[in-house]
Amino acid sequence: MMLAGGRMNPMDVRRRNNVVVTGRADGPVVVLAHGFGCDQNMWRLVVPALADHYRVVLFDYVGSGRSDLSAWSEERYAALTGYAQDVVDLLEELDLRRVAFVGHSVSAMIGLLAARAVPERIGSLVMVAPSPCYIDDDTYRGGFSAEDIDELLASLESNYLGWSAEMAPVIMGNPERPELGEELTNSFCATDPDIARVFARTTFLSDSRDDLKTVTVPTLVLECAHDAIAPREVGAFVHAEIAGSTLVTLPATGHCPQLSAPQATSAAILLFLEHTQ
Amino acid sequence: MCRADEHPEPREAGAGASTDAAFTALLEDSAEELYESAPCGYLSTLMDGTIAKINATLLDWLGLERETVVGRKRFADLLTVGGRLYHETHFAPLLQMQGEISGIALEMKTCGSDRLPVLVSSAVKHSSDGEPLLIRTTVFDASDRRAYEQELLHRKQDADEARRQAEEAREQAEADRSRLQEALAVLQQSLLPASLPAVPGVETAVYYHTASPDRLGGDFYDLFPLDGKRWAFFLGDVCGKGPQAAAVTSLTRYTLRTAALHDPDPVAALTTLNSVLHDRYTGGDPRYCTAIFGVLEPDPANDCVTVRLASGGHPPALVARSDGTAALLPTPGGFLVGALAHAHFASTTTELHPGDTLLLYTDGLTEARTGPDRTSLYGDDALLAFVTDHAGAPPEEMIQALAGLLRGLGDGVDDDTALLALGSPAHTSAHSPATSHLR
Amino acid sequence: MSPLKIAARDAATGPVLHILGDLDYTTAHQLRAHLTALTLRRGQRLVLDLARLDFCDSSGITVLIAAHNQATAAHATLVLAAVPDNTLRILRIVGLDQLFPLYADTTAATST
Repeated sequence: MMLAGGRMNPMDVRRRNNVVVTGRADGPVVVLAHGFGCDQNMWRLVVPALADHYRVVLFDYVGSGRSDLSAWSEERYAALTGYAQDVVDLLEELDLRRVAFVGHSVSAMIGLLAARAVPERIGSLVMVAPSPCYIDDDTYRGGFSAEDIDELLASLESNYLGWSAEMAPVIMGNPERPELGEELTNSFCATDPDIARVFARTTFLSDSRDDLKTVTVPTLVLECAHDAIAPREVGAFVHAEIAGSTLVTLPATGHCPQLSAPQATSAAILLFLEHTQ
Repeated sequence: MCRADEHPEPREAGAGASTDAAFTALLEDSAEELYESAPCGYLSTLMDGTIAKINATLLDWLGLERETVVGRKRFADLLTVGGRLYHETHFAPLLQMQGEISGIALEMKTCGSDRLPVLVSSAVKHSSDGEPLLIRTTVFDASDRRAYEQELLHRKQDADEARRQAEEAREQAEADRSRLQEALAVLQQSLLPASLPAVPGVETAVYYHTASPDRLGGDFYDLFPLDGKRWAFFLGDVCGKGPQAAAVTSLTRYTLRTAALHDPDPVAALTTLNSVLHDRYTGGDPRYCTAIFGVLEPDPANDCVTVRLASGGHPPALVARSDGTAALLPTPGGFLVGALAHAHFASTTTELHPGDTLLLYTDGLTEARTGPDRTSLYGDDALLAFVTDHAGAPPEEMIQALAGLLRGLGDGVDDDTALLALGSPAHTSAHSPATSHLR
Repeated sequence: MSPLKIAARDAATGPVLHILGDLDYTTAHQLRAHLTALTLRRGQRLVLDLARLDFCDSSGITVLIAAHNQATAAHATLVLAAVPDNTLRILRIVGLDQLFPLYADTTAATST
């Protein structure tokens, strides 16, 4: 894998990835990366808890949220390295070093790839509900079969008609619309169906199990007690593969503890960050 | 029609009584009864998705017993695996962020291995102090709608696929076309010399205009040494277009070169070519060309160049003189080369003195259209007048002027055109008045 | 540019073809096909009436030569009638005016 850097103009990266920087300006940097499905709004309930002590950087991957859709190409984003390149671009252009990278779901693996490409820029990893491989094989239980993933793609397709009719004119037509505070129903998770399909495939058909052993930075694995996407066995696997990692099981149901159990999630992250500073 | 007027009262009374009875029955339909038997599914879950309440309609649709569901299953458990993934990645986060979500298409598992397409709406119920308490969910059977949407989706996929295939075919055709053009260009170049050799005491210039990159031209020219003192040149036009014409052009070029080395007499060279072409292409598909073949013999002592040339069916060469005149160099009666077993070729001789230029051309120029149709062609007279105007100009300048003329004729030039000019250099000390009038 | 039309009839001397329009790269194959289907007998005269031929290029000339070869092979003769000036000029350049008997019109070409 070769991730290249230093080519983008900073304004381009900020606009391209809809970068938002908040929190304490002189604090250590925490980057919050969303997973497949929605966008940086996923973090809205944990940002206040982090903002007192940390400089919080939020962004949307190209193809998600309010990123610049014209920067998307299937070539680049059909592999996790394409998303990792978004992270590398962001870290280089903002010249961030030794950040704590908090990645939800597939972003945990994206963060791992980015940390390997620019080790001086990522000082620690927080993996929220991570899964290095969603599909079962002989000895490994990821929780899904290849056919299940096809079903998800079909679900994306069947909700696409609604997206197309209601969301497309708003999202595509007025990217710079002024009334940003007024959120549209379902808009956090609205994506161009072609882009969503590629992201879904890339996410659910990827296999990063061999990459786990390459992690050398302090790592927190945050799993949920009841997660239909990343079951407990997977959390245990990730923890076992990453030497020296910490595993915390949140009393949460579902795949998005930052929404369903925001206090427990931010408390676990803060505790970890204090110990790794 | 009239009966209503005959017995209005009893009917009204009866209708009124039955309406009242219906209203009474409706009012007696308890909220509980409505909840259980509503034409849609209802369920309520705890915030973690655990099902606390579910109506009979939904249980019936799914073929499930209440006691296996309440307190034991989560809402996501009722969904297909794909639906569950969608629920976890889209539905649940949106519901948590917005407090409600509506009209999401999901599929539920039924007791067989069937699937029930549904449209799901959920809302979070909050306590009086704003704490989320439970999630209320309504489920509509969307089988019909989904079937219709699937149909639309398939059509869209078919249309996308057809468009993709058409695009692919177009790109392939484009690639084939550009490969073919490349091959044609290479072949075309092989029919012409890459550059002309330097001939002492003679200036030379050439120009080749390709009318269409798709159609190999049949025009050709060449200039090459015979011995230490003489050089041979030729220019001609093979009848027709395309690969067959190119094959004839190639055969013609090498035949003339070989023939000239054997016997440099212009008539002999054309006669040899005639035999070769006639023998090779006989019968119903005759192939022939028109050509002028000539020999240059510079005479430095007398400051002139002797030109002997012969023509086979080719438009006559032109000679522009340093004194500002120009004339045809007629070779009447010369036959097409290759058309007949025994052909006659006519020869002529001229001398080029300093400032004189000999011009050979193909009929792409003289047959160029100057109007909308073929009734007005550029013609021999116009060419003679043009060359007369440029008499005294050295070959390079003459060719440049003619190239400009061709460009000016634009689309009117619908055939390839070859131009070859050979001149005796004017004395550099004397500035020719004919040259200066160009400027 | 006008399309090519061919009208055929039989005279006492043999077939007569009236050629109308443009005889060029794009149309020459039509006349060629027409001639190929024609049967000539020994001693016959094949008359091509060019009175309404608007244009003839080298592809047209090729068909005339092919017709000449075909007639010669059948011991028949190809003659041209009412050759327009522009085509006559080309025939002169390429020497074919010496090869084909030329008649002022079809009446003259078919008189025995």
